[in-house]
Amino acid sequence: MTVKESGVAGWLVDRGVAPVFLAPSLILLVVLLVGPFVYMVGISFTDLSYALPNHDGNFVGFDNYRRLMRDDPIFWSSFATTLGFVAATVSIESLAGLGLALLLFHHIKRRRFVLTLLLIPMMLAPVAVGLMWKLMLQGEFGMLTHYLRVVGLLGAQTAPLSTLSLVMPTIVLIDAWEWTPFVTLVLLAGMLSLPREPFEAAIMDGAGPLRIFRDITMPLLRTIIALVLLLRGIDAFKEFDKVFILTGGGPGIATELLSIYTWRINFREWDLGYGAVVAFMVYLVVLILCSVFHKAIYWTEARETRR
Amino acid sequence: MSRGWRMAMVATLVVVLVIALTPYLWLIMTSLKSRIDALADQPVWLFTPTFDHYPKVFIDKDYLPLLWNSVVVASTTTLLSLVVGVPAAYVFARHDFAAKEDLFFFFTTRMAPPISVVVPMFLLFSYIGLIDTRTSLILAHSTFNLSLVVWMMRGFFADIPREIDEAAQMDGHSRAGMFLRVLLPLAAPGMAATAVLCFMLSWNEFLYALILVAFEGRTLTVGIPGLVTPHGTLWGQVAAVAVVATVPIIVFTVIVQKHLVRGLTFGAIKG
Amino acid sequence: MIKADSVALRRWRGAAALALGIAMMAPAAPEAGAWTLEEAAAPYRGVTIRTIGESLPPLEALAKMKAKFEARTGIKVVVEMYEHSEAVNKVMLDLNSRRGRYDFILQPHRELGRFVTNGHLVSIDKFMNDPKLRDPSFKPEEVLYQRLWKEISWYAGKPYGFPFTALTMYLWYRADLLNDPKERAGFKAKYGYDMVVPSTWRQYTDLAEWFYRPEKGFYGTAIQGKRHEALWYEWLNFLYSFGGDMMDVKSGSECGPIIVNSPEAVASLEYYKSLIKYSPSDTLNYFWDDAMAVMQQGKVFEVIMWNDSTYAVEDPKVSTVSGRMGFDLIPQGKGGKVGQVEGWTYLIPKYSKNQEAAFLFIQWMMAYDQQLEQHMNGGASARPDVYAAPQVRAIPYSKASMDTNAVAIAKPTIPESPQITDILVRELSEALSGSKTPKQALDRAAVDMHKLLGDCAPMRYPAE
Repeated sequence: MTVKESGVAGWLVDRGVAPVFLAPSLILLVVLLVGPFVYMVGISFTDLSYALPNHDGNFVGFDNYRRLMRDDPIFWSSFATTLGFVAATVSIESLAGLGLALLLFHHIKRRRFVLTLLLIPMMLAPVAVGLMWKLMLQGEFGMLTHYLRVVGLLGAQTAPLSTLSLVMPTIVLIDAWEWTPFVTLVLLAGMLSLPREPFEAAIMDGAGPLRIFRDITMPLLRTIIALVLLLRGIDAFKEFDKVFILTGGGPGIATELLSIYTWRINFREWDLGYGAVVAFMVYLVVLILCSVFHKAIYWTEARETRR
Repeated sequence: MSRGWRMAMVATLVVVLVIALTPYLWLIMTSLKSRIDALADQPVWLFTPTFDHYPKVFIDKDYLPLLWNSVVVASTTTLLSLVVGVPAAYVFARHDFAAKEDLFFFFTTRMAPPISVVVPMFLLFSYIGLIDTRTSLILAHSTFNLSLVVWMMRGFFADIPREIDEAAQMDGHSRAGMFLRVLLPLAAPGMAATAVLCFMLSWNEFLYALILVAFEGRTLTVGIPGLVTPHGTLWGQVAAVAVVATVPIIVFTVIVQKHLVRGLTFGAIKG
Repeated sequence: MIKADSVALRRWRGAAALALGIAMMAPAAPEAGAWTLEEAAAPYRGVTIRTIGESLPPLEALAKMKAKFEARTGIKVVVEMYEHSEAVNKVMLDLNSRRGRYDFILQPHRELGRFVTNGHLVSIDKFMNDPKLRDPSFKPEEVLYQRLWKEISWYAGKPYGFPFTALTMYLWYRADLLNDPKERAGFKAKYGYDMVVPSTWRQYTDLAEWFYRPEKGFYGTAIQGKRHEALWYEWLNFLYSFGGDMMDVKSGSECGPIIVNSPEAVASLEYYKSLIKYSPSDTLNYFWDDAMAVMQQGKVFEVIMWNDSTYAVEDPKVSTVSGRMGFDLIPQGKGGKVGQVEGWTYLIPKYSKNQEAAFLFIQWMMAYDQQLEQHMNGGASARPDVYAAPQVRAIPYSKASMDTNAVAIAKPTIPESPQITDILVRELSEALSGSKTPKQALDRAAVDMHKLLGDCAPMRYPAE
């Protein structure tokens, strides 16, 4: 598949261009990502702290790791909260996104225009999204709080962001508002790129819409759906901006996502040694979950092509 | 499809659009409301607009430099990522070598949670004195933008048939020459779309900006929380900043809408 | 002979008188204009100094006054103002990056221990002992509240600055409503006693309940329940009033037994939590700005708030209730009359490139004239002579401020203090939100504080 030049000269030229073209980006990534990352792992074995005196980075072995495993209930609660957040948002967004995509695919003519409008939520800076919803959900003059109370869905003295039982569902719904358009866009693109033949054949065989959906659409879309789930899952794990603005992790630690907890340890407590472990752990978790999913997709894809 | 069913679908779509767009509309309205209207007990839909908040925050509160920082950082990181990433993408598209898939995976910084990336970056930049400069933010943004460029452009290059390569070389171009004079122009539309996406990602970015820049290099996004002052959150001004922070991106979205799917899935899906 | 003796005597007396006169004049000579600000500042003319602090009336007053200093010395002063947590965080960033962005800083005193032990500050003695810089007419050991100065600007026996503000919290209430005959009649009918300025927590609750009218948009009180330092500050009032404390120590720089989960402390948190039901629906997202805003908008009857915000609630330009307020000590519980020592202090970082110029500005701000002017514009001076001035005595809230200062209790200033605050903020927030009981929250806080501080701070009340 490679354009082959003849003989040794070709080999040299081939090799010649590639390293030159690849080098700058490799260097950039190594210097900016790999280097600092290795440095951070190194720090995770020290007691570095900007807050406490004499904590200049003395070697402490695995102390910080032990602390994470045994002595930090907040990290684990954060982890659980984040997992719950990811599960809830990905499920809601996939279902809503699929529904919307189907709706647009089957029933709407001026798709491009509608889609452009629908994409606005996800194009806004997440900080702005957080701010917007904070304004609307404010207890005293929030527009949404007002109407929710009018229709009786919200108690007169309850504010969603101040109520323990409501705050997480509220955040999940806001995230769904922001990212369902993304799922819709990708799934719709997938649907539009599907081959016509299976559908035509099924219709000729007299299959109903539900049957077509279940037996043809879904299997064909499987890879794309998996990809969307993966992408949303990764992004949900990284969530920071909106929640930071909306609640800052509160009330209590109800919305203390992993990213916010990591931020707090590193840049509020300035406990950089321990913070390095937490940051590293978060990365590991995402990496492992991703790899598993990624391999699963590749494996499924390979299976499909072999068939 | 029966008529009733059809109407139900359209009605659903309208509801969805209302849900999707009202919050942003409310934000824009808030940026134009007087303080009394904004904080009224009952939501105010009809009001006399005031344009006060915009000059108050951008001129009196000196937020123009923040806007400028956002522009500079986003443009520079886009440029840098393109210059460095496009050639790399070409290699991935046209060459085969042993470590290709793994190397490509390595370029998948998409997986790294920004908070995990920013901690060591903070330490490194503090050490070399780059903290709180626009440069630190440009470099930080380039890590994910580079990734985006490589993924996107690989797809665009792969779309260009190899026959073009061969034809150009038969015309006497060297490999580098072919790349510069033949392939790049063909990939230009893709590059433009990629550039816009890079710009958008950088413009909207918050976390790196929050941690790596504190004063000099502040961008518009981190300026937003900074308006929560001890005289009550100045919602009008906050909304004004948020509107300015979001309008350019909406315009850009419309421009690159065709390539959005590819961009957002980092090239995995063509759209 | 007598004539000769007289002359000698006279000459001797004259010489003696002259010598005495010179001896008496000599110490006076330096005070008679030897040190002037203009002269001391001459080498630094044209320099720009930058500072950072909290954007509240005291700093805003300073920002308006600095023009006079600039005119006299040619030293330009730039003031950066931020919200409390941001002001603290940015200073941490600047000090640790050693970039010397700020020539002097204003920080809450709980940060002092951390800054000193990490070697970030210069002792103010360095400048006070320099005759070229020191204004001999400024004698801090005579003109400042000594206890306050030692608590908020001294660490381990050395002074690092001077108090920028002498802060405390006290009771704000709507005097007009308290004195309204209809309200008084209704209250008495329901509770059986006349409405008074609450001096017990029972009365505070009754008043909050009586004035809780959400359908009219009026609330009894508003607590600062957000997960923010404000929560810790506000709860401390209740903690102290119920007879509790965080650690059993005499002064802030000591480490001692942890008593933050004592029965008194738990009782105070339970009471504090009980006030949520008389507060606006978003009270768990409020910090002091929001409490001030609801009072300014005339939506609440009583709150516990800061002396450096009182200016804003009495300012007719921004407040609808100016002139209708009353101020007093917070209600008394088992702990009797209490308040908290708090203050922001002037500090000079080691990395500042214009330390002398910064010192001159600080010294100038601490003079009587400037302190009076700042105080009259919303400041909270630490000079007794300012409080004795007639125009200050006429301010409605001066008495409450001074009374509270007199009974204020010190808080920790050890290097771990900011972390103690963060632990408590988290646990208090959890208790208020309902995810933990007050006892569980305070037990957890005690355990975490013990882990942080180690053996010097044993837990007196074991956690369950």
